[in-house]
Amino acid sequence: MSIEQRPTVPTIDYREMEKSVELSSIAHEENEELLTLNMGPHHPATHGVLRLLCTLEGEIVRDIKPIIGYVHTGIEKICEDKKYWGVVNAVDRMDYLSYYFNEMAYCGAVETLIDLEIPQRAQYLRVIHLELNRIMSHLVWLGTSALDLGAMSMFFYCFRDREEIVDLFEMSSGQRMHPRYIQPGGVFEDIPLGFAEKLRGFCKRMPTRVDEFEELLDRNEIVLQRLRNVGVVDEQTLLDLGVTGPLLRAAGNPWDLRKAHPYSSYDHFDFRIPVGTIGDNYDRYRVRMQEMRESVRIIEQALEGLPEGPWVAANRKYVLPPRHELATSMEALIHHFKLVTEGFRPPPGEVYYAIEQPRGELGCFVRSDGSSKPARLHMRDPSFVNLQALRPMVKDLYVADLIATLAMLDPVLGGIDR
Amino acid sequence: MPYNPGDDVVLVQRGPSPGGAGGAYRAFGETLRGLKQTFQRLTEGTKTIQYPEEKVPVYPRFRGRHKLHRFEDTGLEKCVGCSLCAAACPVDCIRVVADENTPENRVSAGERYAAVYEINMSRCIFCGYCEIACPFDAITLGHDYELSDYNRSDLIFTKEMLMAEPLDRTPLRTAGE
Repeated sequence: MSIEQRPTVPTIDYREMEKSVELSSIAHEENEELLTLNMGPHHPATHGVLRLLCTLEGEIVRDIKPIIGYVHTGIEKICEDKKYWGVVNAVDRMDYLSYYFNEMAYCGAVETLIDLEIPQRAQYLRVIHLELNRIMSHLVWLGTSALDLGAMSMFFYCFRDREEIVDLFEMSSGQRMHPRYIQPGGVFEDIPLGFAEKLRGFCKRMPTRVDEFEELLDRNEIVLQRLRNVGVVDEQTLLDLGVTGPLLRAAGNPWDLRKAHPYSSYDHFDFRIPVGTIGDNYDRYRVRMQEMRESVRIIEQALEGLPEGPWVAANRKYVLPPRHELATSMEALIHHFKLVTEGFRPPPGEVYYAIEQPRGELGCFVRSDGSSKPARLHMRDPSFVNLQALRPMVKDLYVADLIATLAMLDPVLGGIDR
Repeated sequence: MPYNPGDDVVLVQRGPSPGGAGGAYRAFGETLRGLKQTFQRLTEGTKTIQYPEEKVPVYPRFRGRHKLHRFEDTGLEKCVGCSLCAAACPVDCIRVVADENTPENRVSAGERYAAVYEINMSRCIFCGYCEIACPFDAITLGHDYELSDYNRSDLIFTKEMLMAEPLDRTPLRTAGE
C-alpha cells in the first residue's frame, strides 16, 4: 500500500482530551462532601505506575478511574519493524512477570500462520518453562500483595523461592528475565545437564512452601478482614467486562484455556482447575495458591514424560540449521545467511492465538502481508482488560480495601501499557 | 462444542468469617502460629549474598559482556567482517566495517577482516542473536555482568576492548550445582 492510499489518521490533541476527563461521574448532592484524590502514579501499592483518580466520600471510595500510559513503550509498533525472528525479544518485554507467556503467544501465532509442526520435546519444554513462569508470577503477586497487607516476611519468603525459579531460567536459557527461550519452531536450546535434577528438587520443595505460606496467611485475622467478602463481583459482570483468568475462576466460572483450547500438549497432562465460590478477594487468593500447586503437578508430569528427540522443527525454511552443519554443508550456510539477514516470509493472512497467562487470556494477533516483518502485531493483555473490573470491585469500599483489592487484581503495568 | 471441564474443577476452601469471638482468638492464636512458622525459618540460615564483596556465580549459558575470539594456534582473528551479527541484532547496536586482508597485514583467517567492530553496550539487550548468527563462532557472550559506567560514550566498546581478556572474571557455576 502506498502512502497516498493509506487512510488518514485523525490527529488527536491529548491536552484537549485530558481536559474532557470528568473527575467524577457521580452526581454531587447537597450535603455530601466529595474529595478527588490522585493515587499514584508513584504509589507503591499500585504495583507499577498506575494512576488512580479516586472520588472519596470520607474514607469510602465512591468512584474510581484508572489512568494508564505512564510506561507506554510502543512495543507493538517496534515489532512491526523487526523480522519475525527478532520480535521475540520485543514481546518479551511487555509483561515483565510472564515473559515466557509473551514469547509463547507470539510464537504460537506465527507457527499457526506458517503451519509449522512443533516437535513433542519442544512442546514439553515449553510447558515446563511456562508453568515455572506461572509459579514465579504468582510468587511475586503473593509477596507484593502480602506486603500491601502489612506482612513483611511473606515478601522475603516469596522472593527466596522466586530466586530458585529464575536460577532455573538462567540455567536453561541464559538470562533470569527476558530469556528469549522460545522461538518460532520450538525452543532455542535443549535443557542443560543437571537441569532436570534441580527442577525435581524444586518440585519437591514447592508444595511444602505453599503450605507454609498458607499457614501464615490463610486464617490470619488481618488477611481475613481485608480479603473475605471484600470486592465481590459476580460472574456475569466479569464476563461482560471480558475478565479472564484467576479473577473469573474465583467467581466460579471454570474457564481455563489450557483445558478449553489445549495448546502445546496441555491435554497430555492431568491437572485441575481451582474455582472459587462467590468471587471475593479471599477466593482470588485461594485460587492462585491452588494454581501454584497444580503448576507443580504439571511440571512433574512434563518432566517425567519428557520425550527424546529434537527441540526445534527441522524445516530449514523457517528455522536456523544446527551449528555443526554450518562448517560442513554449503546449503545449511546459505539457509543460515538468508534467515539471519532477511528472515522468513509467512504467507499473507492474519491469526489470533490465545494462551492462558497467570492473569488470564493472553492473545496475540499477527497480520502478515507476505513480507518478512509483521504488518501488525497486537497483544490482548489480560491485565489491561482485568483493570476494568476494578471499578465494580472497589465501589463503596474503604481506601484500605481498595489497596487490598488492587493487589488481588494483580495488574502488571508493563503489560497494560505495552 | 460447549466447554465442560467436568471432574477437573476443584472448589477452593473458604476461610472463616472475620471478626467475632473467632476473630479475637485468631488475633492471638493464628498470629502465634504464624510466628512459629517464621521462627522455624531461622534455622534455614541466610540466603542473601554480600554482593560487592561476594559475586553471584553465573551458569555457563549466562549472556553477559561480549567477547571476540582469535584462533589459538595462529593468533588470527576469527571475525571475517561479514556483518551477519549486525544484521541479526534486533536493536542495531553492532557496527562492523570490513576491510581486505593483505599478505603484509594479515588480521583474520578469511579474505576480509573487521577493521571497525563496535558494540554500543547502552543499547544492547543481551539477547545473544549475534552469537547465534555468527557462522565462525567469532563473537560469544561472556559471563561478566558488571558493565556500568559514568559516560555513555564509554559504553561503546571497541574491537580492542572486546578482544582483550576482562580483568575481573565472574565466578562460574558448574552444571550440576
